[in-house]
Amino acid sequence: MSKLTRQQFDEMLIERHGADVHKKLNASTVGIAGLGGLGSNVAAALVRMGVGRLIITDFDIVEPSNLNRQNYRLDQLGCDKVQATIENLKSINPYVRIDGFLTKLTGDNIPEIFRPCDIVAECFDSARAKQMLIETVLTKMEDTIVVAASGLAGYGRSNAIKTEKINSRLIITGDRQSGIEKGLPLFAPRVTIAAGHQGNAIIELIIDGF
Amino acid sequence: MAVLKINGQAMDFADDLPGNLAGLLEHLKVDEATVVAEIDGDIISRSDFVETVLADGQKIELIKLVGGG
Repeated sequence: MSKLTRQQFDEMLIERHGADVHKKLNASTVGIAGLGGLGSNVAAALVRMGVGRLIITDFDIVEPSNLNRQNYRLDQLGCDKVQATIENLKSINPYVRIDGFLTKLTGDNIPEIFRPCDIVAECFDSARAKQMLIETVLTKMEDTIVVAASGLAGYGRSNAIKTEKINSRLIITGDRQSGIEKGLPLFAPRVTIAAGHQGNAIIELIIDGF
Repeated sequence: MAVLKINGQAMDFADDLPGNLAGLLEHLKVDEATVVAEIDGDIISRSDFVETVLADGQKIELIKLVGGG
């Protein structure tokens, strides 16, 4: 049950963020490609901030192996990640608009699904999928920025995780080398640090412009 | 003698400039499935790597991705 009306929620955000920032956040649309350790955490931060609309995608269900780092609960095992994420996000901020796509993203459907987005967060697990998403947005969606993550496995080395502007439409967070290919495990804190970098880069883009 | 600037570093290719982008990636032992390639500011789609002919003096950015999320 919501204890704040939409108006009260907006007033709270304006008080915290200022009217100008709130207006920009509320007017923006962000895509989240993949709802694992990165996407589930990026989405939660953006919803708390009052980003007006999210377009979220994943084809998978919540599995036991996800719980060590992804923003899901035990009682959500077996649920599809899109529905579980919508439930979690709405419990934080019921007034955000969320469009969910339970589908596997491809070079063909990405431009259609993410068409309304100013920014797309690349939150996949596999390096191949990351490549596909970045290449597709950069070559087929000329007004959209990608905020990706690469190199966040393992533990420690918090300060090795960076936010780098690669070109005018691509930002990559991570240390660029700690991949699962090296046999490194994925742990909640380091994945969440990279997700925090992504969320922070997205907020900066929305507030300060591209 | 041909020179390519790859990720900011000049690389000399005496007479054996790889004919195309796919050849360059093979030469550098870079997995083409996990790299986003940019030549002189233009992103090259993976499906075009073989037909993208390289030329002396090009600036090539190879953005390598690693897994985890």
